[in-house]
Amino acid sequence: MTQILLVDDDPQFLQATTELLELLGHQVSTASTVEEASRLARTTLFTHVILDVILPDGSGLHVLDSLPENGQNTQVTLVTGHPSVKSIVKNLYGPNIHYLIKPINLEQLESLFNQQADSTRIKQHYGHLVGESAPMQELYQMIERVANTHANVMLIGESGVGKEVVASAIHYASRTEGVFIPANCGAFARDLISSELFGHEKGAFTGATHRKAGVFEQAQGGSLFLDEITEMPIELQPNLLRVLETQQVTRLGGTSSIDINCRVISATNRTEVEIAEQGHLREDLYFRLAVFPIHIPPLRERVEDIPLLVEHFLNTFNRQYQSTIGIDEASLERLMQYDWPGNIRELRHAIHRAYIMADMDKKLLSLPDDLSSPFSKVGSDPHFNGITVGKTVEDVEKELIETTLEHLAGDKKRAAEMLGISLKTLYNRLNSYAESTTE
Amino acid sequence: MSEETRKLIHDIRNPLNNISINAELGKLVLERKGDIAKAKEIFTTIINACKSCSDELEKLKEHMDDPQDFT
Repeated sequence: MTQILLVDDDPQFLQATTELLELLGHQVSTASTVEEASRLARTTLFTHVILDVILPDGSGLHVLDSLPENGQNTQVTLVTGHPSVKSIVKNLYGPNIHYLIKPINLEQLESLFNQQADSTRIKQHYGHLVGESAPMQELYQMIERVANTHANVMLIGESGVGKEVVASAIHYASRTEGVFIPANCGAFARDLISSELFGHEKGAFTGATHRKAGVFEQAQGGSLFLDEITEMPIELQPNLLRVLETQQVTRLGGTSSIDINCRVISATNRTEVEIAEQGHLREDLYFRLAVFPIHIPPLRERVEDIPLLVEHFLNTFNRQYQSTIGIDEASLERLMQYDWPGNIRELRHAIHRAYIMADMDKKLLSLPDDLSSPFSKVGSDPHFNGITVGKTVEDVEKELIETTLEHLAGDKKRAAEMLGISLKTLYNRLNSYAESTTE
Repeated sequence: MSEETRKLIHDIRNPLNNISINAELGKLVLERKGDIAKAKEIFTTIINACKSCSDELEKLKEHMDDPQDFT
């Protein structure tokens, strides 16, 4: 499905074209000025923008500046009465530009969306997510379920798994009237958190020169994404809790409260156990936010999606740099064998780097000898996999013994001491491991 | 062609465009929904757009008849 932003100052054209596109099964938002369109483009990820070049408050091309950075997938179509506009704009915005020449007919309109189908073969679920693996299918089911409700969602996943992308997908799947407002609780200055979340009245504090709407108000009728929710100072959490309980927000310095109506999607890279044990979130707040918790799988649990993701990133970079770089099988194999502790963010970074280093004669990505990033080596010993559900006591015992021996360079006497077992028991265990491998 | 002539021609394209889009919409509404009332509404829009087309053409004609404007 496509999400279209239609911009034109002729209300009759706007209305008829919207109805036409909706009959064709597309989702349409409309704007009649540059300002209105820019506001929408900043907060919603559109697959298509159909734009009149001449608008009452300036050139329609200004709207393109407001497309989000990751909006390189947005197909831009200019509506024009002059075929000559083509030559002026052609090279400015790359190959993603299409044209509709007035008078527009159905065939012209439909051709826009067929081109799209050809140029991006990779399916993006809910307009955002790439991957067909079993863990992703499970994720899609969860999104489908929650999209039909108003429940608050907490996204739990490692750094780099794409929590904001999943949040956008939930917003997209919910088909709400309002917009998607992302906010990072870890990035707010401590003193300003309340003002950012709840807004303030003019003169509420020194420096408050204008009235400001908080993110809850901005997300009215839509979705508010609170990233790094567990980084929010504990003493400020009761304020947030009160808003969620009363569904009302009062701007700082304000006297009357405002009803709010948005889904809160929060995200954290801590596990539920960490949140509870280390007290990052008040329990009552956790239950308000995590009505519907969703775990996003790390990349190493969906290795089979790596080829799709690589192709998706290659398409993006090829469009951006107007080239046709590919990848050979050996490189793809290496990408699939690496365990990506930094997840999709790390994969994207690796592809981008390899793209810049690409062999321009063969038009192939060029991977570095060592894929791992400096961040990936911190705090993880590749030999010791740790305790996970599903392992047997024997497995864990064997791992512990082997790791201890390795650490002590094979000194069995010291290893037995450290493990708190007799030297004889240690020998027995080692013999049984040797037997089971020779069987 | 003068700037004014260009502008007048451009102004004719807008109602013409509305006729085209509404005719396509009308076709689709009848095909998929069989909504006669909606179709009537669309035809009215088309007739009005034809009138504005005619008005714009009249303006263009007056402008062309005015010999001062040929530059």
